[in-house]
Amino acid sequence: MSLEKRTPVVDDVGVTEDGVDYDALADLLGDSIIDREHHVNAEGFVIRPDDVQSVLRTLKDEAGFDHCSCVTAQDYDDRYESIYHLKKYRDPTQEVSVVVPTPKDDPRHQTGSDVYETANWHEREAYDLVGIEYDDHPDQRRILLPETWQGHPLSQDFNQDQPQVVSLREHANPLQDDKQSPDDPDTMFINIGPHHPATHGVLHVKTVLDGEQIVDIDPDIGYLHRCEEQMCQQGTYRHQIMPYPDRWDYISAGILNEWAYARAAEDLADIEVPEYAQVIRTMSAEMCRIASHSLALATFALDVFGDFTAVFQYGIRDREIAQDLLEDLTGQRLMFNYLRLGGVAWDLPEPREEYFEKIRDFLDDLPEKLAEYHDLVTGNEIFQMRCVDTGILTPEKVKDYGATGPVARGSGVDYDLRRDDPYGYYDELDWDVVTEDGCDNFSRVLVRLRELEESARIIEQCVDLLEEWPEDDRTIQANVPRTLKPDPDREIYRAVEGAKGELGIYIRSDGTDKPARFKIRSPCFSNLQSLAEMSEGEYIPDMIASLGSLDIVLGEVDR
Amino acid sequence: MIGVLKSMATTMKHALDGETFTVEYPDVAPEVSPRFRGVHKFSQERCIWCRQCENVCPNNTIQIVTDDQRNGEQYNLHVGQCIYCRLCEEVCPVDAIILTQNFEFTADTKDDFAYNKEQLKNVPWYKDIDPLASREPDRGVWIGEGEGEVDYQ
Amino acid sequence: MQSETPLPSAMADLLGLDPSNPLVIFVMAFVASLVVASGLLTLVAVSGIWGKRKITAAFTDRIAVNRHGPMGLLIIPADALRLLSKELIIPEGVDRPAWDLGPLIMVFSALAGFAVIPMGNGIQIADPEVGLAYVFAMASVASLGLVMAGYSSNNKYSFLGGLRAVAQNLAYEIPLILTGMSVVIFAGSLRMSTIVAEQADTLIALGPVAIPQWYAFVNPFAFVLFMVANLAEVGRNPFDIPEAPTEIVAGWQTEYSSVYFVLAYLSEFIHIFLGGAIIATIFLGGPAGPVLPGIVWFLIKIVAVYLFTQWARSAVPRVRIDQLIEIGWKGMLVLSFANLVLTAIIVGVIA
Repeated sequence: MSLEKRTPVVDDVGVTEDGVDYDALADLLGDSIIDREHHVNAEGFVIRPDDVQSVLRTLKDEAGFDHCSCVTAQDYDDRYESIYHLKKYRDPTQEVSVVVPTPKDDPRHQTGSDVYETANWHEREAYDLVGIEYDDHPDQRRILLPETWQGHPLSQDFNQDQPQVVSLREHANPLQDDKQSPDDPDTMFINIGPHHPATHGVLHVKTVLDGEQIVDIDPDIGYLHRCEEQMCQQGTYRHQIMPYPDRWDYISAGILNEWAYARAAEDLADIEVPEYAQVIRTMSAEMCRIASHSLALATFALDVFGDFTAVFQYGIRDREIAQDLLEDLTGQRLMFNYLRLGGVAWDLPEPREEYFEKIRDFLDDLPEKLAEYHDLVTGNEIFQMRCVDTGILTPEKVKDYGATGPVARGSGVDYDLRRDDPYGYYDELDWDVVTEDGCDNFSRVLVRLRELEESARIIEQCVDLLEEWPEDDRTIQANVPRTLKPDPDREIYRAVEGAKGELGIYIRSDGTDKPARFKIRSPCFSNLQSLAEMSEGEYIPDMIASLGSLDIVLGEVDR
Repeated sequence: MIGVLKSMATTMKHALDGETFTVEYPDVAPEVSPRFRGVHKFSQERCIWCRQCENVCPNNTIQIVTDDQRNGEQYNLHVGQCIYCRLCEEVCPVDAIILTQNFEFTADTKDDFAYNKEQLKNVPWYKDIDPLASREPDRGVWIGEGEGEVDYQ
Repeated sequence: MQSETPLPSAMADLLGLDPSNPLVIFVMAFVASLVVASGLLTLVAVSGIWGKRKITAAFTDRIAVNRHGPMGLLIIPADALRLLSKELIIPEGVDRPAWDLGPLIMVFSALAGFAVIPMGNGIQIADPEVGLAYVFAMASVASLGLVMAGYSSNNKYSFLGGLRAVAQNLAYEIPLILTGMSVVIFAGSLRMSTIVAEQADTLIALGPVAIPQWYAFVNPFAFVLFMVANLAEVGRNPFDIPEAPTEIVAGWQTEYSSVYFVLAYLSEFIHIFLGGAIIATIFLGGPAGPVLPGIVWFLIKIVAVYLFTQWARSAVPRVRIDQLIEIGWKGMLVLSFANLVLTAIIVGVIA
């Protein structure tokens, strides 16, 4: 009873039956490579700063690395470095890192955003936080910090004591020439957010309207930037980092986020997780996914139906049950802090039968509730009128923007790390990856609704397994030293399938008990970037609906 | 049109069945799980002043002051700053600190949330649930014989 | 059941004054309006502040207000006090007279519409020959208030809301009135009392139960059409586009606070009730009904229409503005013309 695996991609250059043949890739790139590094699950090619575009282009077009998962920038004692983490949508286990070192006194190199659209924002973030500049970047501005910020906080020479005097500049003329579309000067600039009922947090969308239609939008993020990466860099691997992932995507997806950190750190430090703990992790993670998707549906309905819709409350009601189950298990309703490196904090609550009974009741009621949602939401003609064929995101654009999760699957991109890059107990269970081909807001809603069913299937199988698990084999934590010091200079980029998509963590160790660089690849960050693509030329309500269907959490976008 | 009518029928069904899933909070106090993590309770009698909780705390919520003989003098915990991760309880070798189910606490200023060891000792159990049942530590120290009252002797 | 004399004359009679004296009629009309308006405002207070919460809560499985007084009813004075004591924030650059007048126009136009509505038990302030035309006209004046509010607020969201309000009202006013006209063809008069009286006849007698000739039964198609158009007219889901909180914050009322917000809020509810009153009068036999007095039946009918709007809110998504315009001009307008022509033919053939 195993999930059907996809056949590995072997027709690309440098791919053999066993995975990626890095020597063949190196041959393909030829002289561009000046050195090679070994990261924990991918080889790193070190290249010259002026070769970035050609290398990325070759890897994308000829070797099939169509997914630029993340761009990590960091500051060493002797150099700056950008790392492009490349993957394939067809098989995300095939990974390669492109490392671009730049000198300390002039950290600048070619942009990769010409090759991968998604690199645009990632490079802006790198510029903002670390201070690397990208030549020919279309939009080299700060992204998370205010434009007036002095210095780059994650670079080593950042002076924390320097006062950030932010002068109030003249208000920019909202109708200045570059905001107007050249063919039609009758446009209106409007700020949607940061305080707006439908931006799902403090998102600010600078919008230029032509009548009711959107000519140009520019999401402005960073209002909820809480230095999560830096906080993790100041915490110890063993204990202190784990409470923070709960606070990235705080909409009940805590365990999924914790798992991202747990997976990266466990692979970094070679920790084996007991199988029993893996089953519990899988079960609790899927409960989180149910809670998270319920809320996604609820808030989407709020955006489309209006303020007094019943769907929102029904979504909250169902999420509440999942939340109660998680509270029984983890002791908290949102900030679970349940996973530990090498296992989980607690075994299932006693009496176990009672807990299983509760879960089963929840799962038994779920189909009826889903039917209700279909009656109320997806079957409603006016809802269909609003959502079908609006907010179109083609599969090509999905890949270009590095969109993942339900957003990618709603555009027919069959990409789910739970199956494609298996972790936990997922590959032992029988479930399906849900995709829809509509590419529109409606498909994304449908994907989430159908994923609820799949999650329920997974939980049910986990419960069956846990019920019959032999009592003397219930190890919930591997034996992990109290102070964990991974070998110095190990680098890892590892991702899991979070509620919103691929949630990746990059960690570089320096031999101490704290990471030297901790980078979070947030799925919402990449997904949000595609908003402009989805909504330009559409009406304001469609933009709002598209934003809702992306299901962003600003806590995760801004980190 | 049928879909719209179906939607309306669905909500009407909910309106007519009269069920509610919200509760009238202060009158109907919510059930919390035995594992729920609320305000801390601290037992000076148990504490060996090893400072492990202070070290493990991810955001410096716990402050311990000892004299030069390493005898404890102060144990301060800022419950308003705490993120309720339970690492202090987990790391404590003698179960001297434990998170009760009590989530109801108020204060006029932020400073009032910095609890000293006396205040931490006097934190009440929530609805008489003692969280120890779910955690299997040495119960005798927390709960005395007889009435189940809290006993620190 | 329906009194032939309007309320002011009846009151004058009751007090032994001369109804033919214009001064007496003027004073009596004033008093009568006061009575009717107070009754309406009470109804709005109950339904807007308390009823709406209870209804929404019922649809969403919640409890809603229940702490102040019996069933939470004392929330009404508490909320009124709260709203009135809020600071009135006047944003920079608002176009003062228009900005102040907008909410007033909305409230008074909706209230004025009630002047010709026969509410049973002789409560009808005036009964002019063009009653129906008057009430439609009054209901439409509110759009003027919306535009004033939207334009003068110096806020882009308000501006969009104001524009949406005009576009929407234009698209729906015509089908609404055309559908109303089909009733006039049946009744042969624009006078409200005549329309109500015409509906008192028996349509079919099922044994002892006589089904009256309410136009909702005679022409259910027109009734449905009118209900839908009325939802757009009062701006409720699926047509609450001028406000659309998730899109344009609160539309034309974004900048209003304190007393002005109360006025804007009141006007919406009065408008819903005016819509309900028109529906009750021209489709549901006005105050007619068995056993209970006319005014009670009338209240039941308009509250039922109000309930319907809230019910639609709980389950029907909002349409997009371009879709709304399309439905209005390409769908409803055609249907309402068809309805009018058909009605005319049928009435002509039967007569």
